Amino acid sequence: MTLDQVILFTVDLLALFSVYLIINLGLNLQQGVTGIPNFGLVLAVAGGAYITASLSTRLAIYLLNVHTDLDPIVNNVSVLQLVNPILRSSPWLSIGLLVLFLVIGGASGALMGLISSAPAVRLREDYLAITLLAFGEILNVVGNGYDPLVGGPPGTSLPDIFGWAGQYRFYWATLIMLLVAVIIFVYVERLVRTPFGRVLRAIRDNENTARSLGKDITRYRMSSILIGSILCGIAGALWALYSGAVTPSYDRFDYTFLPWLMILLGGMGSNIGTVVGTLVFVTLDELIDYFKYAFAPFLPFDVVWLNYLLLGLLTIIILIYRPEGIVREKWTRVPPAPPPVGEAKPG
Amino acid sequence: MSWLTYSSLLSMMALGVTLLYRTTKVANFAHASLVTSGAYVVYSIVVVLHPNPYVGAPIAFVIVGGLGLLLFYGVLEPMRRRHSPTVMLMVATLAFDIVLFGVLNIIADDLASSYFVPSRNILLSASDFTFMGQPGIFFVAIGILSLCSVVLYILLNFTTLGIALRASMENSSLAQAIGVNVSMMLGISWFAAGGLAGVSGALLPLWTQVNPNTGTVLLASIFCASIVGGLDEIYGAVLGGFLLGFVDVVGTSLLASSIGSWIAFYEPAVPLVVLCATLILAPKGLAGFLARRKK
Repeated sequence: MTLDQVILFTVDLLALFSVYLIINLGLNLQQGVTGIPNFGLVLAVAGGAYITASLSTRLAIYLLNVHTDLDPIVNNVSVLQLVNPILRSSPWLSIGLLVLFLVIGGASGALMGLISSAPAVRLREDYLAITLLAFGEILNVVGNGYDPLVGGPPGTSLPDIFGWAGQYRFYWATLIMLLVAVIIFVYVERLVRTPFGRVLRAIRDNENTARSLGKDITRYRMSSILIGSILCGIAGALWALYSGAVTPSYDRFDYTFLPWLMILLGGMGSNIGTVVGTLVFVTLDELIDYFKYAFAPFLPFDVVWLNYLLLGLLTIIILIYRPEGIVREKWTRVPPAPPPVGEAKPG
Repeated sequence: MSWLTYSSLLSMMALGVTLLYRTTKVANFAHASLVTSGAYVVYSIVVVLHPNPYVGAPIAFVIVGGLGLLLFYGVLEPMRRRHSPTVMLMVATLAFDIVLFGVLNIIADDLASSYFVPSRNILLSASDFTFMGQPGIFFVAIGILSLCSVVLYILLNFTTLGIALRASMENSSLAQAIGVNVSMMLGISWFAAGGLAGVSGALLPLWTQVNPNTGTVLLASIFCASIVGGLDEIYGAVLGGFLLGFVDVVGTSLLASSIGSWIAFYEPAVPLVVLCATLILAPKGLAGFLARRKK
């Protein structure tokens, strides 16, 4: 690889890393910290991406006072030709829109999380797992059938809010995504150390004990799903804005299976583990992607299926031989309780 | 009448899921891909040897049953011995599903390049027979479902093996204590469930088109049928399969003729609506609902 290729490779890798890190932190909060097996992660990610894509062009026309009779989804390309020059000339306006879109993405993710978990959140965890899995790809059905969402199967483009960076668009976009990921990491890392976070872990370790201490289990589980889904929605919106277009094809493999693999690899329950797992996995995946065509002549099958075989087997091997992952969850230190008043001192 | 065919096939698939849930406490996320494997086993046999597609069904039973055994003894049993939590077992079935998806695609590519036949959207209904104005699959699907249910019923209720199986379902540590080989019992149920998936998959291309990713689409319906029937009762799966098959095929076409054909696009959402209604109204499923009525 030449230097240019190395830089391109690294930037690409960091972009993927940031998006997956946000999703994985959301999954780790649900599965690792609270013990909610969310097998329908793809729904919140797709919700964030599709709804943001659907609203972004419409909102951009409205907020930027672009007067046009064209439909923002049907005549997507022509409308964006009016919108993008305005965004290109003013970075701050673009950043403002970015923040707005991320809020929309988070809200859409939250909505999806609530809808899919509401019927089963009170039931046993396996019912919840099955329900969430079953709901996972429902948004693709809507996306393919209902054109105003993302324009049907061909998809739709989003306003280019990184256009102001010109030829450095992908560098700036990656930097901003990494920044968002770091902010979210700090937030989640602080969250699990609050009393709220400790209740979540108590629910995971022993639901009945937590209930006997007067904690409303359903409400805490809902909150955990809600926060996790918001993070997934933000990640979905970020990825849509970064790649500039969305098609209704977000699937279980990319946005449910891979995040599970990454938090397993890193170590469930630990946010540091999630970062390590994501980084190791994304690097591995990008390297396989980069070099797999070199293996192609030696393989008796089409190289596109190699990912499925390798990643599936990797997961099974981790599950059997190292289920705790690379980084073990650390017990948080809790200050010792003050001695009860009036009790005799030992000795 | 075609909804009866679909319902029978769906019931066979859901029967396997419920059986595994009862014995191993695992929701087998690879089940739908096992179904697809059954379809590809039959299609490969048909492409290579040109027999009647029904000949392939017993072979699919054995081969896909073997895949079930591979998943259990190769992946789940080593994990169970290390006391992995149930959720991790489910993740393992998801990983197995991904591997199977890759393998199915490789087989499909291979069939296409070695035998110059279409290997995506496979459909075998042209080689089906016709009886009393109905396609043969209609009778065969209902027949095999009845046969499987009766065999399973006799097996579970009137044989020593069945009693040992039920003992391992009810309380596995107690069964172990009185000398039942629980691991073997679970292995048998994985073989049976895999076999059921294989047979239903073998019959599937006689009814509709099958792709390597058919499993991904079917999975939601299979689980919905299981839950709607009630995960605690094996025969609930048959109830659930028929209810879901009816609502899916007949309900959607009724809606399409009364509201508009655009609604047919949303057919994949039907199982989810039924699932939500069940979870909210009768979380124990139809079987649980009926049992409560009886008391």
